[in-house]
Amino acid sequence: MTDEKTNMGSKLVVNRRKALTLAGATAALSFPGPFISRAHARDVLYVNTWGGPWEESAKVNLFEPFMRENNVEIKTVSPVSFAKLAAQVKTGVYEFDVTTLGDADIVRANEAGLLEDVSKAPLDKSALWDGAIFQNGVASHAFATLISYRKDKFPNGGPKTWADFFDPIKFPGSRCLQRHAGRVLAIALLADGVDPDKLFPLDLDRAFAKLDKIKPHIRVWWTQGPQSGQLLRDGEVDMIGIWQTYPVRLIREGQPIEMIWDKALLDRAYWVVAKGSPRAALAWKFVQTAVRGDNVSKFSLANVYGPLNPKAFDFVPAEDAKLMPTSPENIKKVVLQDTTKASDQLAEASKQFDRWIAR
Amino acid sequence: MTTLRNERALLWLLLLPVVGFLAVFFLVPLSQVLYFSVMDPGFTLKHYTAFITDGFYWKVLFGTFQTAAFVTVLALLMAYPLAYMVVRLGGAFATTILLIVTMSFWTSFLVRTFAWMVILGNNGPLRAAMEMLGIVPAPQLLFTRFSSTLAMVHLLIPFMVLALYSVMKKIDPNLTRAARSLGASPFDAFRRIFLPLSAPGIVNGCTLVFIMCLGFYVTPVLLGSPREQMIAGLIGQQIEEFLEFGEASATSVILLAVTLTVFALYNRFVGLDKLWG
Repeated sequence: MTDEKTNMGSKLVVNRRKALTLAGATAALSFPGPFISRAHARDVLYVNTWGGPWEESAKVNLFEPFMRENNVEIKTVSPVSFAKLAAQVKTGVYEFDVTTLGDADIVRANEAGLLEDVSKAPLDKSALWDGAIFQNGVASHAFATLISYRKDKFPNGGPKTWADFFDPIKFPGSRCLQRHAGRVLAIALLADGVDPDKLFPLDLDRAFAKLDKIKPHIRVWWTQGPQSGQLLRDGEVDMIGIWQTYPVRLIREGQPIEMIWDKALLDRAYWVVAKGSPRAALAWKFVQTAVRGDNVSKFSLANVYGPLNPKAFDFVPAEDAKLMPTSPENIKKVVLQDTTKASDQLAEASKQFDRWIAR
Repeated sequence: MTTLRNERALLWLLLLPVVGFLAVFFLVPLSQVLYFSVMDPGFTLKHYTAFITDGFYWKVLFGTFQTAAFVTVLALLMAYPLAYMVVRLGGAFATTILLIVTMSFWTSFLVRTFAWMVILGNNGPLRAAMEMLGIVPAPQLLFTRFSSTLAMVHLLIPFMVLALYSVMKKIDPNLTRAARSLGASPFDAFRRIFLPLSAPGIVNGCTLVFIMCLGFYVTPVLLGSPREQMIAGLIGQQIEEFLEFGEASATSVILLAVTLTVFALYNRFVGLDKLWG
């Protein structure tokens, strides 16, 4: 029983034992004793989520099926925090058992020994696909950072490549990118003509030199997903490097928005189990369910993420697949990040990026 | 005698809940921060030297203090006349104004920040009004130091108003009247009687607003110029992004030390109790 190892669970067990002893004593004294109807409390799994629309979709499409099928309860903790993952492995107090990590964070977390070993996990690997397992995580879904622009600002056609995005003479106008060193530096190198296969490790000097050229045209750096959508919608910026979810929504609303799939930067998210989690077995069981084609397709459809399980596209209508970064058609256009080659430079790059912004 | 002593002992007991609370939830975490700042991993002062020798940190720290001071002064200039008017007029008017002021506490800082994004935006009402008045093209307001300062002043004014009001309403109106009857002009009576008596409110309000402003960082990031950075954001990033608890702790300790120094210097040379001398 997974229950017996848990912090929360052990308390329950102790209480239950006490209760049982007490009940036994009572029973011995006055037979027939009270009938104990609930000998076993439901297991609880704690999942770390991104909150917002992410959690809404996960609740309906991932958590609820798992809860029904296994008679367990899922409680959520948000937002996703790398710091918390590190802290709880250090202190042994587990606020969550399962979380998702991106391409860069998973390498860092794995190197720091924060993740349960996937090779020892009770996973049915035959149900997974080639490349599903990466750095002790199981691939779930992906999003892409791509160029999106307002068609009303560029009636004769807007930027088609990252090089155009970085060319304020050919395409004048205000720009916006995410305040995220890893992605912005990679994009700058793509704009400078670096081959996607040779992107990592990042050539920092070259990337910053390229960024210098558009710095005066960056009106604002976005930090929150919804903020980026708002900026584009309100016309605060003319072009933006943005996750596909937001322009897709705006296009469906009928806004004059264009999005460019070519060389969009793909970020994959992986399910991982916190090292030493007392509920690891249950956690892996959840991961197995969460990446199943039917589940991950429904989860992805709600917010137009790209499912990473190829079987998921059996469940996705063709017109929706067109808007997903991992569809058979788009996956050929996007840039996959090999962050294993960049893990030791990203922290330093991030600090340098902050100094560069403040300059 | 014994009963009196017992009573005194009992009175001390009354302090127990608050002292216990502060010890557990304030002193313990604070000492932990102090501890981390010199003990990550073993005993070391490198987190402090890293801060002190790096011009970038000083620039951010100085910028943060500058912003906080500017916001505090603006909030005071706007809140003082309002609080004064509320106290002097009293009655239903005062109740209404105070209700409106406290109502703004019901809406979160983040929501109000987003509201400013709409108001100041390219398609927002403020720019539309400017263009109607013939200012074409209207200047872009969002993502400038102006807009972040404006929003911070707006967010913090209620604290200033309430701090001023609580002191002003205790000032005996007869004192100003007495000054007037002895020949002081209205302005003199205000400057020499009311203003000095309201100084504790000014000090309280300014301290409160200044300290709160030091901790702001979401509002400047969402509304301010891309170059703007507050020290609180830097500390958050050191923990969230880099997992550098030692460096973040050292930065926090330095922020605390510099804040206390500013107040100590102010107290030494101006006197917190006699702000308007």
